[in-house]
Amino acid sequence: MTFQRFLLRRALMVIPLMIGVVFITFMLVRIGGLDPVGRLAGPTATQAEFDSIRNNLGLDQPLWKQFSIYLGNVVRGDLGESWLSNRSVLTDIKERAVISLELLFWGVGIGALVGVPVGLRAAFRPNGRFDQFTRVLSLFGFSIPTYWLALVMIFVFFYLLGWSPPAIGRMSLLVTPPDMITGSYLIDGVLTARWDAARSAASQLILPVICLAIVSAAPIIKQTRAIAIEVLSSDTVRYAHACGLPERNVRKLVLRNSAVPILTYIGTEVTGLVGTMSLIEYVFAWGGLGQYGLNAIISGDFTAVQGYVLVLAVFSVLVFIVIDFVVYLIEPRSELS
Amino acid sequence: MTLLKVEDLHTHFISRDLDNQICIAKALNGVSFSLEAGRVLGIVGETGAGKSLTAQSIVGLLRPPAKIVAGSVRFEGRELTDMPDAELNRIRGNNIAMVVQNPRTSLDPLTRVGDQLVRLHQIHSGGPKTASHKRALEMMEAVGLPDPESRAKSWPHELSGGMAQRVLLAMALMNSPKLLIADEPTTGLDVTVQAQILDLLRSLVARFDMATLIITHDLGVVAHFCNDIAVMFGGSIVETGSVRDVFAAPAHPYTRNLIAATPERFQMGRAKALGGQPPDLYNLPSGCVLQSRCAYATELCQTTVRNAEVAEGHFALCHYAGRLEEQPAVKINA
Repeated sequence: MTFQRFLLRRALMVIPLMIGVVFITFMLVRIGGLDPVGRLAGPTATQAEFDSIRNNLGLDQPLWKQFSIYLGNVVRGDLGESWLSNRSVLTDIKERAVISLELLFWGVGIGALVGVPVGLRAAFRPNGRFDQFTRVLSLFGFSIPTYWLALVMIFVFFYLLGWSPPAIGRMSLLVTPPDMITGSYLIDGVLTARWDAARSAASQLILPVICLAIVSAAPIIKQTRAIAIEVLSSDTVRYAHACGLPERNVRKLVLRNSAVPILTYIGTEVTGLVGTMSLIEYVFAWGGLGQYGLNAIISGDFTAVQGYVLVLAVFSVLVFIVIDFVVYLIEPRSELS
Repeated sequence: MTLLKVEDLHTHFISRDLDNQICIAKALNGVSFSLEAGRVLGIVGETGAGKSLTAQSIVGLLRPPAKIVAGSVRFEGRELTDMPDAELNRIRGNNIAMVVQNPRTSLDPLTRVGDQLVRLHQIHSGGPKTASHKRALEMMEAVGLPDPESRAKSWPHELSGGMAQRVLLAMALMNSPKLLIADEPTTGLDVTVQAQILDLLRSLVARFDMATLIITHDLGVVAHFCNDIAVMFGGSIVETGSVRDVFAAPAHPYTRNLIAATPERFQMGRAKALGGQPPDLYNLPSGCVLQSRCAYATELCQTTVRNAEVAEGHFALCHYAGRLEEQPAVKINA
């Protein structure tokens, strides 16, 4: 199958999934007992004001009608306006998506760059000293609550040691942000040769990235170790030893044969990490998509919540398409399907 | 000079049970044999007798908890048991080649067949890549793979079991080994393909003049293929000798039962099943390992057995070797 046909088929398969996602989030926010009207109207509003807001938002219509209107808008690419800020949800999400992707990229990237080699090394000597040590470490990474880790890191590295800047967002208040090209201060700073901005952005990135890397590396270590141990006990590796392949070649063989399951795992992990992202962004006042979604949920901003969940679903689908394609490139047994 | 000499090889599985007590399964108990250049030796025995473990011990492929605890393996006069891995890797796949029983899962699934052949030749013999490539095509031709040029571009998962086994044979031949170890090379194949592979193996052994150690549970393979036979039971070689001598006059009760239990004899209505359990390797009896299953067993069998030479070059590990009655020893229950 050609790549175009694969993409087309995937896109067609995604449509019913997306309708389901839209439907479920749409209904869930409405039966959740949140009342955005009271919040918007304020404590001194009269019943007439209440009714007019309710009417304006269309919340007085029957649910099926609200849903069909919303679905129609979504199909046309209109995610509606935020009820709190009156800004277009799509614009809000677009602006914030890059910010969150940057954090996710560095966090999971470093998590994988550390986690995969560590997991492999642990697998080459199961129950050795290194394995035992990393097992304890990854247990920590698994069990520490993310927001607590973030708070402790701020406390230690900003308050006690003074090594890191305050957790007030993506850039120091004393530095003017660079001209917008991609939306990432770090990349834009480098592209426009605004080195002070790039430096400030980088130093702000360090703590949240480390935090996310710790959280993502722990399961990567565990999975990589399990996958590599299975490959090491396979007929292929035994036969490679019987053929007298030097240790270096055998390790390469193990790495190559572990790559597909490890990549698939990291793909699923990325999509699962968006929830963790919300908490990290919140603690570091990051202002990305995760924080946006969390705020929308807390304040009952229905259109924003719906838009947020829909975009995350699209993101997950994209991640899996990319993973499938990469697997197709490195694994001769696989087919695009 | 003897090409391969295995002397008093003991391999144990050493593990700890739930109470953290050390448990030892004595899987090989003093295996000794030797193999001259150009000879074909067949090792037969039932499952769990230690055939494959013998092969793995020879080439140092044991994985924990298996461990060689005593004995020596000499290949061209060099001791293999205490050789560092890096040095052993220069012998494995080069002077000693192996053919294993799961060809399809043993090949590297992510490398084309031809590239695997070339890689093996490059690692051991070096030289220009084009020469390795040429040799790979020659060897694929020699093992009867049709259209080697296009087969070389196949992925392992595209091969049938028989073709994969031919590829493994080609892999084994790449570096002109002096010793070929074939560990149940025809187990997982169809009967017709088994015959083809065995015929191929026989012609290759003659053509490339390799000493060959073939491990099988099929006496027919040994009878048609080998010069010498070693019968294993309970981690010991209970009888060795030339195929002609052993088949004509089996001196060990176990060998007698084994020969008596071949399917051909069943069809003639003359054989009884070879009954009984393999011995408990964690708790071997003193003396003969077969005593609980042997029709001739007496109190003498509880004492240490020595190899007795019943004819020239024909040994049996039995107190009564050469003194048994004519009939096959039968004792089904154990």
